[in-house]
Amino acid sequence: MILLRLISWPYTRKHLLRSLLTAAGIMLGVAVFVGMHTANQSVLFAFHRTVNRIAGSTELQVAATEIGFPEEVLEIVQAAPEVRVAVPVIEAVADSGRQGQGNLLILGVDMTGDRSLRDYDFESADESIVDDPLVFLAQPDSIIVTGEFAGRNGLRLNSRLPLLTMEGEKQFTVRGIMRSGGLTSAFGGNLAIMDIYAAQKVFGRGRMFDRIDLAVRDGVSLEQCQAALRKLLGPGYQVETPASRGQQFESILRVYAFAIRINSLFALFIGMFIIYNSFAIAVTERRPEIGILRALGATRGQIRTLFLGESAILGLLGSAAGLALGNLIARGIAGQIAGMLDAMYGLAERAQEVATDPRLAAAALAVGVVTSMIAALIPARNAARVDPVRALQKGKYQVLSAGENRARRLAALALGVVSASLLLWNRNAWMFYGGYILLVASAVLLTPALAVWLSRCLRPVLRRLLPVEGALAADSLIQAPRRTSATVAALMLSLAMVVGLGGVARASVGSLHEWIDTHLNPDLFVTAAENLNDRSFRFPADMAGELQRVTGIAEIQMVRTARVPFRRTPVLIVSTDIQVLERRVRARVIAGDETEMHRLAALGEGLIVSENLASLHNLRLGESVEIAAPAGLLRLPIVGVTRDYSDQQGAILMDRAVYVRYWKDPTVNVFRVYLEPGASPEQVKRMILERFAGHRRLFVLSNLELRAYVMRIADQWFALSYVQIAVALLIAVLGIVNTLTVSITDRRRELGVLQAVGGLRRQIRGTVWMEALAIGLLGLILGLALGAVNLLYVLEVGRHEGGLILDYQYPYAMALLLLPAILGAALLAALAPAESAVRGSLVEALEYE
Amino acid sequence: MSRRFLVLSAFICVHLRFPLLPAQDAPAIIEETQRRSRAPSRRNDGVLQVIDARGRITEKRWQVHQLGSYGNSKTILRFTAPPEVKGVALLVVNHPDRSSDQWMWTPAIARERRIAIQDRATRFFGTDFTFEDLEERDVGQFDWKLLGEGAVDGAPCWRLEGRPKEKKVSQYTSTLLWIRKDNYVGVRYENYKKDQLVRRLNLSDIERIQGIWTPRRWEMSDLARNSRTILRTENLQYNVPLKDADFTVQALRREP
Repeated sequence: MILLRLISWPYTRKHLLRSLLTAAGIMLGVAVFVGMHTANQSVLFAFHRTVNRIAGSTELQVAATEIGFPEEVLEIVQAAPEVRVAVPVIEAVADSGRQGQGNLLILGVDMTGDRSLRDYDFESADESIVDDPLVFLAQPDSIIVTGEFAGRNGLRLNSRLPLLTMEGEKQFTVRGIMRSGGLTSAFGGNLAIMDIYAAQKVFGRGRMFDRIDLAVRDGVSLEQCQAALRKLLGPGYQVETPASRGQQFESILRVYAFAIRINSLFALFIGMFIIYNSFAIAVTERRPEIGILRALGATRGQIRTLFLGESAILGLLGSAAGLALGNLIARGIAGQIAGMLDAMYGLAERAQEVATDPRLAAAALAVGVVTSMIAALIPARNAARVDPVRALQKGKYQVLSAGENRARRLAALALGVVSASLLLWNRNAWMFYGGYILLVASAVLLTPALAVWLSRCLRPVLRRLLPVEGALAADSLIQAPRRTSATVAALMLSLAMVVGLGGVARASVGSLHEWIDTHLNPDLFVTAAENLNDRSFRFPADMAGELQRVTGIAEIQMVRTARVPFRRTPVLIVSTDIQVLERRVRARVIAGDETEMHRLAALGEGLIVSENLASLHNLRLGESVEIAAPAGLLRLPIVGVTRDYSDQQGAILMDRAVYVRYWKDPTVNVFRVYLEPGASPEQVKRMILERFAGHRRLFVLSNLELRAYVMRIADQWFALSYVQIAVALLIAVLGIVNTLTVSITDRRRELGVLQAVGGLRRQIRGTVWMEALAIGLLGLILGLALGAVNLLYVLEVGRHEGGLILDYQYPYAMALLLLPAILGAALLAALAPAESAVRGSLVEALEYE
Repeated sequence: MSRRFLVLSAFICVHLRFPLLPAQDAPAIIEETQRRSRAPSRRNDGVLQVIDARGRITEKRWQVHQLGSYGNSKTILRFTAPPEVKGVALLVVNHPDRSSDQWMWTPAIARERRIAIQDRATRFFGTDFTFEDLEERDVGQFDWKLLGEGAVDGAPCWRLEGRPKEKKVSQYTSTLLWIRKDNYVGVRYENYKKDQLVRRLNLSDIERIQGIWTPRRWEMSDLARNSRTILRTENLQYNVPLKDADFTVQALRREP
């Protein structure tokens, strides 16, 4: 402690900026880790809270996926002796129609029984509504809103609230305002209650309910009731506790959470290199000080502890700052995650409160401190090894950062071989990820050797550019490879990650375009919701006939998409008329015969699955699969596997007749409209809108608009890679500043001599700049090379974890963009150290000569 | 003999004839009460007033048609006022061996819905009656005891106590009822939860209509809420020509 106060603190105070930069390394890693996890957790928490608040005293919920089920099921459930109360519910998300107020979660309930499960505490209401559900039921325009929503929108009792329903815009009357607390805080207060039968009409649900909330009779356990209802209803129905509803949401967030974990790990790993570098500088600069301490009797252990203590404190400070920054990042991206989930899955959930979980904060602090200490281990060991005699001999430097050893190269080689073997015998996730980690470790160990070799190759080039400065810069890199290798390694890792993500983005965009060209080829799409994944609103099937009468329309294809559980994962069912599909769509067939698969699927004798579903669940052509549906267990063979990006969790294509038969749901989400030759899409769009104006809610998207929509979703997903690029640039700047500082300290005498024999300040500056550029270039070359291998792994990770099957496409354009960005960042990072080199005291530099 | 006993119904009146045989015990008194109020069918208009703790009055008017009685009855109730509930109709089909089936017709959305009142302690559409109060109770599920005699509005009555044999049968722990000795009409019901009186029903304005002694005014007081509901029947007729087809979900949709 005394050593920390007497020795470490003055040094830190003297080099405050550098200390801050070092702490920034850990801060960045912790911030990315905390920020992304907190954002993810906040969205998840908001979802769980909404589920719990809405559930009230519901003990079990009966659902048949998101599709719903016929009303008759309610009577079966209510008649079960194990059930005390069972009430139907429809849940839908509708645009509130209020500027900046987002979506409104509408809960359709049956007020005659619902109060047995949910507490509607009114702060103001029409007395008859509060006391008499009859009035509420008799007037289908009745709506009850929360106090929060009413307050935000200036709504009072009997205010009119327009909502876009399936029958066009309808005016609703606020007949009750709920008091804050409990139920009203669900969905951030954007909650409204309607009569369930009015909601059926408004959302085009026909005579279906979304779910049944129930309470168990006294003396009956939840498990008993669950078992009894499962037996009664069959496998097509889920009987679960409200809390388990979050599982589907969590499984959807799983892929995103995985990407976050990888990013956080990389950020921390890179932060480690920055710490390492900074402590390497400190040890270099403080050699005389260490020598004095050793001469005064300080043991090696004490010196090591001193540096590790410094690193722990720095790690703690960096982590604390990282926590604060992470919270800010979380606030920024929670909305983005929610928006992405809404766009991709139609799951709208706003995280109202973004707060870091104390356990996560504690873990982040611990990880930050431990990472910092691990990073400082080697410099601390080097410091402990300082020979006091040599350290105190004027004019004799004990250069610790010089040299490269063979053992490291051999270890790198061995790790590389093991990694390749693991990849070749890739039997399970442990082998795969083990191989991945070993590959990264091998690349890191090999970095000094590769840096030397590349520096030698670069030397003639640098010399040609600036004969003196270039040669000096290259020599500096060749003579002390370990000095620069940490920065080069950090840059390399960061860029490898960027290339990996960029490659995925490029392949995705390419594949998406190909898929859009083949699958999404209708001229117009008529949808019930602005967001294609929002399945709250549905069309009745008979609307197809009316649509067909619009002049210019050649063919209409009815599509119903729905998310259903398949082997405990929510996958997308796409049901349509396969015969029309066969005529219009040329899918990329991965397995099976195109004609035969369509023939069998059209006959209702087979299913066509997406390639990602087949990959995620190891499905083979001809294999029989089972999907639990309200009408029984659908058991059909897989007759084809196609490349289909309809859903990240996988898609199952079936004929509409099969779907209607098994799910008892004749509704439609989207009408795919093919026009007659020569018909103008704009004109037909206008005619459709005119024909249904006022009595039908619909949106008509042109092919171009739909393409833009799909690509916008893809962009949201790949926004992560932009964060990674920003982190890479920051790493470049931080790392290079640190490395150059070490380099200048190490070469103070050399630079002093250079100035003394007539070297110009311009030349000294040029040397430092060239060195910075060279470091940037080394990092770029190694990063882009490792990125090529990393991309292979990332694609494999995407396939393993997300079922995302993409072709290998190296992101050349991104690599080209990175070249000026990283070199520019390197040059920027060199400005301050270069000035420090030319402005340093010449007398001090040559003191011992 | 039906084993069901109507504790209260807006649709049932009590048949009066001087006792042929003076009842000696509680079950016999109950059976005689049931027998005297039986009618094959009836129709009436009704006014329902809810007076809350602050003295505010809300009023609804309806028209009732009923076919059968004691556990096998079918009733259609149509609201005629105020305008916000006008046209809403309720079909109640009672069964001798299980809870009644109920459907509601809402003209504004042109839909009938099944009402499954699973929590029988739920208030009947904002009144002080619960759904259980309006059910035809199975006499056999209660232990009846003659407590003695008393008087209501000066009329001599038997004082009986009914306790459910099983807890789940009723929300109430016990019910005290007063049955007039002269006409076998139940004129007061007091419902207890544990030892706490929670609801009291008084029946009055008893008139003899087509040979059946019928209370024209029911007043239910909710002692916890300090509110009361008054139900008055008007234009009551027994033995009107009604048929089963008038009491179906399809018939519910047909507005008169």
